[in-house]
Amino acid sequence: MRLLRFSYIRTRSLLVLALILTAASALFSFTAISFLGFYKTFSSYLGEEEDIVAIYDRKSDTPFTGLVSMQLAVSVQSLQGVLAASPEVIVPVIAKGESMFLRGVVPAVFAKLTKLCLLQGDQLRLEDSDSVMMGIRLAERLRMDAGEKILAFAVLAQSYVELEVKGIFESKTALDDEILAPIYVGQWMRGIDYDHVTLIRVKIERSLVSPSRIFAELSREASEPSQGNEEGDGQQGGIVTWPRALFSIEDIGVEGAARFMKIYLDNYGVTEETILILSIMVFSLAGASVISASKTLIQQHKGEIEVLRSVGASNRTIRTDLLAKVLPWSVAFSMVGTGIGILALMIFERSGHLEVLSHGISFQFDPLILVLQLIVSSLIVALGILSSLRSQV
Amino acid sequence: MILLTLNMLFRKRGTAPSILAIALLVAILASMGSITNHINSEAEALKELVNIGETYIFLSKQSSSITSSQIDANLAGVLKTVPGVNHVLPQKIFKANMTVKSNEKAILLRAIADPDLFFDLRGGSLDGAKAKARGEACVGEILARMVGINLGDQVNLTINDVTIEVRVVGIFRTMTQSDSELVVPMEAAHNLTGSEGKVSMIEFTLEVDAMKDPIQNIYKLLPGDVEVMQVQQPGKFIQDINAQTLFFLNNWSLAVYAVVVAASHIVAARLTSESTYELAMLRALGTRKRHIFTLILTYMVTVATIGSILGVALGIAGAQTASTVAGWMLTSLNLAPFMELDQALELIILTQASSIVGSIFAAFKAAGKTFEELIL
Repeated sequence: MRLLRFSYIRTRSLLVLALILTAASALFSFTAISFLGFYKTFSSYLGEEEDIVAIYDRKSDTPFTGLVSMQLAVSVQSLQGVLAASPEVIVPVIAKGESMFLRGVVPAVFAKLTKLCLLQGDQLRLEDSDSVMMGIRLAERLRMDAGEKILAFAVLAQSYVELEVKGIFESKTALDDEILAPIYVGQWMRGIDYDHVTLIRVKIERSLVSPSRIFAELSREASEPSQGNEEGDGQQGGIVTWPRALFSIEDIGVEGAARFMKIYLDNYGVTEETILILSIMVFSLAGASVISASKTLIQQHKGEIEVLRSVGASNRTIRTDLLAKVLPWSVAFSMVGTGIGILALMIFERSGHLEVLSHGISFQFDPLILVLQLIVSSLIVALGILSSLRSQV
Repeated sequence: MILLTLNMLFRKRGTAPSILAIALLVAILASMGSITNHINSEAEALKELVNIGETYIFLSKQSSSITSSQIDANLAGVLKTVPGVNHVLPQKIFKANMTVKSNEKAILLRAIADPDLFFDLRGGSLDGAKAKARGEACVGEILARMVGINLGDQVNLTINDVTIEVRVVGIFRTMTQSDSELVVPMEAAHNLTGSEGKVSMIEFTLEVDAMKDPIQNIYKLLPGDVEVMQVQQPGKFIQDINAQTLFFLNNWSLAVYAVVVAASHIVAARLTSESTYELAMLRALGTRKRHIFTLILTYMVTVATIGSILGVALGIAGAQTASTVAGWMLTSLNLAPFMELDQALELIILTQASSIVGSIFAAFKAAGKTFEELIL
């Protein structure tokens, strides 16, 4: 007897399974893709390129609240293989009634690390003490154009600034949700002196220098400060001073930029693996309903199964046949659910309302999510069918 | 009769797995919600750690910037009479063309009525003297470096063809925007702009131990065209960040409730499939369609209620257990998930509503069947 040719499963009954599998798969993909999107947006905040290194404050609990001496930028600049060292102050501010991040930079140096596409107005210069550039997503959110003024209030200090939007840029990174200002504006809003910054990003030639080599140089600098003048070599006469400041090497960390952000997430137990495990757990909890749906499907075909048994079909044959008939459908329903989840996320992404820490999340579909989804859903459906058949024997 | 039948339905084998299915879905929401509550409460606690200043500013409501703001200078006098107000500093801020050593640059000019108070409030350092006379000016460190201004330099300031000459008597560092400005006494600004009765803004501070009441009193005194703003706003930032997290969570919750709807449909479909005999008996005894419909919905609401209460308990207990275990493994992690009673109630009510939506079709279909259809 070849049961595979005997079509005894009613399409209408399959709809129950379709409903729950589609909904559970949509939930899984929504959870996994959105959480991974948040993780990837955050970890690539300072750039994903392997040639970008961050010098940061190891004592700080967040990437935004550390303080390192600005002089370190000068110290590493002299190393062979260091192409540019960009001191940056990243600070939360309130403007037009909304929260956002302002990044104080030395524009000429910053441009060596991050390419900005100017959409409106002009490029920012260090001399533009009352001007800023605004990322395109933020400008769209605030409905601002180049030439308009913005009054920003500090969060971490008693300070406010009135700034003119000199240009609007696009970077295709988290910067599109931020304000770029001359470095001293960031220092005003952070309430720190001109000697310190949040972190220093360094562009390196990887074949010539490594993060560990930079750390070694900073260790040497910390133990034997070079005998330069107080304002730092070759930096006098500019708007920004690079004063020498004593620092303890224990407080300084040097890592690849993406690794630097991941360190903070790791401290809170957030990794790509834990997010995937969490998503699978969410799906597994929803799996009780999938098992229930599988059992309902068997319950609704109790009569047909009994007929098959009465005409001599063994339990093994029925089991194999049911799995062969239902599993392809479950795979199809799971794929539809994943598609619905992705579609919902795309709608949210386009709406621009989905933000974490005032930064938009960019979602990327990982094929691993679909593979995991199909494996787990097939296993749960199979478990439901087999346990239901066993209870009928 | 209904209670008896309900009791009969509850004795079905599928009831316990149905309650468990709903409970596990609610547990997802409860655990995620309780962890988010912890994160948000930590963020709120950060607000307490930030040293919030007591500085406020008055600005014109119609203006889009400080430089275009125009408010009545007499408001400063009124403000000084409010108990709890510590310092009041009216200021005029506008763009001017500065010429020094044959270099010309557009700068921000800040005119102040009380130089002593200005430097007291800003703190920082001053090299030289405070500009108090009409022909004197102090320059911020950033501006001084930018243009190469030194103490004693003569500077020409021009607005709308009116030019005045001032001598730089001090170079200061305040770590505020003033470091890129030229600061002159208010009289110099009157010479340049001509308007004496108006200022751009009034900055004021409150006494540390009188932070709330004065602001309420000040609001009562404010003319309609003036608004008051706090200079440091950590509360607003934390509120926004928490709102963003909650927005994300609420949208994600919609996906979970969609699964609850689907799960409820399955529970109802399974119930009607398992209870064909009981429903047929009820129809045979003359039970109306409406009563069968109500019976199935009552069953579903009860299952959803028990499931959601169990789910809330499971979710919170699960999140707390997972947090404790994670805390053992990662010493930097200190999570304490919790859920407020109103949030738990909201979760239960939304689960009940989702369950009703999910089961309504199956209940309607079962209620619509005749005795003959049911037994066949």
